[in-house]
Amino acid sequence: MATLSEKVLTEAEKDSRTEAEETGNTEHVHPADASAPVLSVRDVRISDQAAGHEIVHGVSFTLTPGKAVGIVGESGSGKTLTCRAALGILPAHFEVTGGSIELDGNDISALTPARWTALRGATISAVFQDPASYLNPSIRVGAQIAEVVRVKKGLKRREAHRRAIELLRAVHLRDPELVYGQYTYELSGGMLQRVLIAAAIAADPRILIADEATTALDVTVQAEILDLLADLRERTGLALVLVSHDLAVVAQLCDEVLVMRQGEVVEQGPTREVLHHPRHEYTRLLIAEHEQYGLDKFLAVEAAKAAAAVEEDA
Amino acid sequence: MTTTDAPATPPDVRHRGATTGARRTLGRVLVTLARSIAIFVPVFLVATFVTFALRSLSGLSPARIQLGEEATPEAVARVEAQWGLDRPFLVQYVDWLGGVLHGQLGTSWTNGADISTLIGLGLGVSLSVATFALLIGVVAGFTLGTVAALRRSTWVDRAITGFVTVISVMPAFVVGIVLVAVFAVGLHVFPSAGYVPAAQGFGPWLAHITLPAVALSFDVVADVARQLRSSLVAAYRENYVTGAVVRGLSPRRIFFGHVLRNGLGPALATLGLKFPTLVGASVVTEWIFGLQGFGRFANDSAQAGDVPAVQGVLVVSIVLVVAFNLIVNLVLARVTPASQRGV
Repeated sequence: MATLSEKVLTEAEKDSRTEAEETGNTEHVHPADASAPVLSVRDVRISDQAAGHEIVHGVSFTLTPGKAVGIVGESGSGKTLTCRAALGILPAHFEVTGGSIELDGNDISALTPARWTALRGATISAVFQDPASYLNPSIRVGAQIAEVVRVKKGLKRREAHRRAIELLRAVHLRDPELVYGQYTYELSGGMLQRVLIAAAIAADPRILIADEATTALDVTVQAEILDLLADLRERTGLALVLVSHDLAVVAQLCDEVLVMRQGEVVEQGPTREVLHHPRHEYTRLLIAEHEQYGLDKFLAVEAAKAAAAVEEDA
Repeated sequence: MTTTDAPATPPDVRHRGATTGARRTLGRVLVTLARSIAIFVPVFLVATFVTFALRSLSGLSPARIQLGEEATPEAVARVEAQWGLDRPFLVQYVDWLGGVLHGQLGTSWTNGADISTLIGLGLGVSLSVATFALLIGVVAGFTLGTVAALRRSTWVDRAITGFVTVISVMPAFVVGIVLVAVFAVGLHVFPSAGYVPAAQGFGPWLAHITLPAVALSFDVVADVARQLRSSLVAAYRENYVTGAVVRGLSPRRIFFGHVLRNGLGPALATLGLKFPTLVGASVVTEWIFGLQGFGRFANDSAQAGDVPAVQGVLVVSIVLVVAFNLIVNLVLARVTPASQRGV
């Protein structure tokens, strides 16, 4: 099984001859079975130890390579906490108090800090809302990608530089050499999200968590980023966890949806099923609001009016 | 500017990234340098002008020092003419400034000695002490600040914060007296006073400057430690730290590569502010430790009414302080691009 960035890069960089030798390292010994889950979350409960109450009341899902799970819910519903638990970056005082999370066969409760460091980036990675803040403002963005490649893949400085540029090209950035040398304040939101994605996939993770990754972007850029994620997933078998408060974003990309409210999973199932036959009140509300305020509705009304006018004329 | 339908990159742009990087770094240093010099020159001119105006404003005259209070007006005028003080003010200033630019600070009113030479003698002593104090301040301050930030809100953090607060309120002369009483008089570890040039042996030189340097350094240690602690703690709260964690970088790499780099700015800026204070405080410490330094010379000259000497002292101080700030600015520009954007 080829590594993620190799596939991305060979696709994007057909003119680069040394590519295959460069990336053809065998650092990642993935399980032979492609359908083995890379991430299993079983009845995970998360509590605020300082306040002494449970915030997330049991979330379960499994993710196999190339699949995408969407978590929808209003802010404060516990979707971000669930993702942070899987990344091992829960805020202070928050702890997983029940259930288990398995990352590529490793139960995270038994992980040492060093093992965590090894797994992050190489097995699981994440991108967030507000990409500018997740990149160091005083280091060129390219150097931050190269750093990941150097540390996680053991590449030399020069090779890492070239690899970073290839990654920037792989996330469809125009003129990657120029972007490599720029600082965060010199790039637009959409470009930064691409850079953040490039940094996140630099060490060939098997799981990518996108926590509201497109929320702050305008609609066209959001669509481009979602296309990019779908593209990565298709070509490389990257498993996605997509967190959003926007049902449309999740519907576009995910096989399975979890609807969360106040720490509970109120509805879970295949995307099509959930969208067409919502069983829970809250899911119906989310869909109804989309129908009520979505552009489709507006366009439908306009079309109906136009049709009526035509009929009157006739 | 995000595109998926981007036109193919023209081949001539391929190598732009690497060269622009180097060129931009060089450009950044040059811009900082140019900007610093643009500040340096007017500051220097205004400061020297005010300094030179001191004589006219103070009404002091070499004739009073040489001839005493009962000199006749004719004798006073004769002596002042000898010193060239009967010429128009601006002529005197330009003449003096020309000398200053060539390193000639004039002649002392009290003993006719060359002021540049006198200051040079004292400066060796003072710079030894100040540099050593700065070194102690930087090393101890950075260590304490870093440890406190890494162990934030533990007893280690609280102990360091407490210690730093205590030493920050202790004036250098009190610390100096205590140090002499304990380490020189009590324990006989260090000499209590005097100075030996480094040329006569590194050991004795270091022994003589250690106590005054420690006394001077307390303030620097406290300020650097507190500043560094708070900026490191703030930097650790930033999202880019989470970003680096998620990319799988080790805590050590995150600290040195990301947190320290961004947290360094305020501490360095503090250091730039501390240097003038060190020069000023050296007057007191040099008295306590019996050092014939720059501060002592400044004090003696001022008391004797030796205006050219005081002017020389001020010119050297201005140059020292501005030069030190220039260095700090250059380092700051290297550490964070933000500092050269806003200012």
